[in-house]
Amino acid sequence: MGLRDREGGDPLSLAEVQALGQAEGRQGGLLGFGSPTFLTTKVDFVVNWARRNSLWPMPFGTACCAIEMMASAASNFDLARFGMERMSFSPRQADVLICAGRVPYKLAPVLRRIWDQMMQPKWSISMGACASSGGVFDTYSMVQGIDTIIPVDVYVPGCPPRPEGLIYGLMMIQEKIRHESLSDHYTLRAEDPSLVGRPHADAEEVEALAGPFGNSTQQDHLTSLAQTTRPERSEDLLP
Amino acid sequence: MDENGSAFDAVERGPEGSQRPTGAPRSGNGDPAASHPSVTALRARFGATVLHHEVQAGDQHVVFVDAASNRAVLEWLKDDPEHRYDLLVDVTAVDYGGGSPIQIVYQLWSVGHKRALRVKCELPLDGLSIDSVVPLWKTADWLEREVFDLFGVDFRDHPDLRRILMPQNYAEGHPLRKDFPLRGRFSRAEQTRRALSQDYHDDYTPEALEVGGAPGLEPPEPTGSIDGPEEAP
Amino acid sequence: MTERVVELPEPGLRSEPMLINIGPQHPATHGVLRLLCELDGETVLKVTPDIGFLHTAFEKLGEYRTWNQIVPLTDRMDYLAPLMYNCVYVMAVEKLMGLEVTERCKVVRVLLMEMDRIFSHLLWLGTTAIDVGAFTPFLYAFQERERIYQLHEAYTGARITTSATRIGGMMADFPEGWTDSLRNFVETFPKTLDEIESLLTTNGIHLGRTLDIGVISGEDALNHGFTGPNLRASGVDYDIRKDNPYYDYETYDFDVPIGENGDCYDRYLVRMEEMRQSLRILEQALERLPDGPINVSDPRVSLPSKTDCMNDMESMIHHFKLITEGIRVPAGDCYFAVEGSKGELGMYVVSDGGEKPVRWRIRPPSFVNLSVIAKLAEGHLVSDLIMINASLDIVLGEIDR
Ligand code: SF4
Repeated sequence: MGLRDREGGDPLSLAEVQALGQAEGRQGGLLGFGSPTFLTTKVDFVVNWARRNSLWPMPFGTACCAIEMMASAASNFDLARFGMERMSFSPRQADVLICAGRVPYKLAPVLRRIWDQMMQPKWSISMGACASSGGVFDTYSMVQGIDTIIPVDVYVPGCPPRPEGLIYGLMMIQEKIRHESLSDHYTLRAEDPSLVGRPHADAEEVEALAGPFGNSTQQDHLTSLAQTTRPERSEDLLP
Repeated sequence: MDENGSAFDAVERGPEGSQRPTGAPRSGNGDPAASHPSVTALRARFGATVLHHEVQAGDQHVVFVDAASNRAVLEWLKDDPEHRYDLLVDVTAVDYGGGSPIQIVYQLWSVGHKRALRVKCELPLDGLSIDSVVPLWKTADWLEREVFDLFGVDFRDHPDLRRILMPQNYAEGHPLRKDFPLRGRFSRAEQTRRALSQDYHDDYTPEALEVGGAPGLEPPEPTGSIDGPEEAP
Repeated sequence: MTERVVELPEPGLRSEPMLINIGPQHPATHGVLRLLCELDGETVLKVTPDIGFLHTAFEKLGEYRTWNQIVPLTDRMDYLAPLMYNCVYVMAVEKLMGLEVTERCKVVRVLLMEMDRIFSHLLWLGTTAIDVGAFTPFLYAFQERERIYQLHEAYTGARITTSATRIGGMMADFPEGWTDSLRNFVETFPKTLDEIESLLTTNGIHLGRTLDIGVISGEDALNHGFTGPNLRASGVDYDIRKDNPYYDYETYDFDVPIGENGDCYDRYLVRMEEMRQSLRILEQALERLPDGPINVSDPRVSLPSKTDCMNDMESMIHHFKLITEGIRVPAGDCYFAVEGSKGELGMYVVSDGGEKPVRWRIRPPSFVNLSVIAKLAEGHLVSDLIMINASLDIVLGEIDR
């Protein structure tokens, strides 16, 4: 069933969608919620193996970091070793968004739209200090960390990160995929449809993230913040 | 934050702290007696329109002209065979802060004569309007748009005076003015919200939207302003 | 190519222009550039570039930084030739201060700037080749770039964001053996360049995509503010290294390649030849690299030595003041330009005598070069628009600043 096909109604919220999924009897089914079975673990293994070794990156390169991203794709570092030589310039065929470089507010809606256009399952990497936290550019025109705009799976630090750093980040994504399971993917990876075109963070969170030194010193692990009262969101619950 | 404010407040306030009370300096640091053939000729040709001449950084000649006759002066400099400044290198502006006038700076170079000249015009803050030089040099098109975007100077007769670097719906003002805080006027949350609600029709000119027979797609009304209710706390 | 006017195939068959949006996130726009094209079939009627998608507010940020703290901002602006930007910024400030750097420093900066000219042209070469459908030159070019990356890294510790200069000198002298690595590069690079040239210069596809595409006359080019290789491809002989020399460029023996037709192919030829000329300059500069100190010893800008700081209170205070307050630059303004890899690269610095600039302005060569694309692309096909854009050699970091 589609997420938007309720007659004339508003787009469903995530909780409603999950409730609907359960009402349709998905729970505990072959690939349903919860309890992994013998079958699902084997299927998981095969699916994750396939997914992780043919990640197609969508290079969202804007500034200096993009040059390092190109260097990692070129002969010396050779991303093709990891099944990622096919840079997918169309978001619709891409699996992992690599946001490399500075993102000003003027570019923010473009980034958001490209993320919305990518198919599930999708992952994202924030490459470099600017994408992760605004870097040294704490100015009127810069987004202070793209995690206020889209969810981020892996942050690669550096200004710019070396190609080895980016490759390590991509391998962390592979590692993440290894631990995913189809039986909980539906819950974990679904994005609330009402979030499309919206900031990833609400107003309070943006302030917390974008304060002076905010993002970089409060980061706990992956997308969660230490010591803020931010609500837990299902898309951040990835293992 | 305590009463005296933290270091961040100083960052927000801007560099006015280091401001000398004099505002725009009016004396060169080079040899004042040095002469420049074009300046001598300008004085002879335009008389009192040439307000001031100074030498900066050793050998760089700067001439201040009356803002009302900038185009006449520059046209003469461009076309007179003795001078022929055929390359307009740069158009920019300088705001010294503290209410002093904004300087428009034209940097000229003559390829044939291998000579440089800097022409400046001063505009008071309540009369930020000057003739465009796009009819003389096409280079000025984007450079003047940039000055308009970042300083809010109005260029009369400019063919397409729109914002160029900032989004069309940017409502916080003109960023390179000294009274503009480094982080902008709105809160980060408001800036994010506004950024994501940008309308792409803002970037199309009405004529462009007419292409392909799609009339009626009028650019939306601008929402909010600096004085509007959405100002950051 | 304005004669390629749209002709309706049959009377009565109506065609309607349409509006196509390219970018801002498109691999062929070499960054986050947005081109709004009005098309008639495949013919471009009008292009409106939309920029500002990478506006980082360098100039505003510079007003909040001390003079030396601005150096790290400059290399983040043009990440294709970072050392060139490092150098020209401090050269402008030194000119305003009336500071003369040491002989060794001059030659070192010439070495670094010419090296980065090759660095920048190589990226242009690789990406332009991709735009005409050739992937091999990209790999070749990046292999050579990787060697310059390693030179950058050996000297400054960073691959792109070098921040190598300081007002009054460099952050350090060359490490041991660095000049040998550079000499090795200078000796072996022409071979790769020949290989790349044999792939492109007489390649039928490349010729077909570039000959007579995006023509601009010398007079128009000057009026539109073209500088650098783009201007010289149109036949105007203007190179700042020759016409307004700095750092003894007049004593180096090199030629300035001049094109004739001002089309994409000439721009390609000019840049290829420029790389060879840069190699010549590098050779001569390596020959003449004098010994001696690399930093000036001027108490206004140079830090006292570490041993002095440890033993002598005065030096300690001097060091402390220079670091915490920053150097002071006399009031005034100064415009200083060098021949950048993309055109006339100028820095305009305005000081009021304080530790921070009142205004720091970059005269952006690719900003001005890009503004001409609307004129160049008119009447061409969409695929030619991509080629024209590539041949202008733009870098969005510096266009949007
Ligand atoms: S993190 Fe550094 S290298 Fe990367 S885009 Fe930002 S300034 Fe450039």
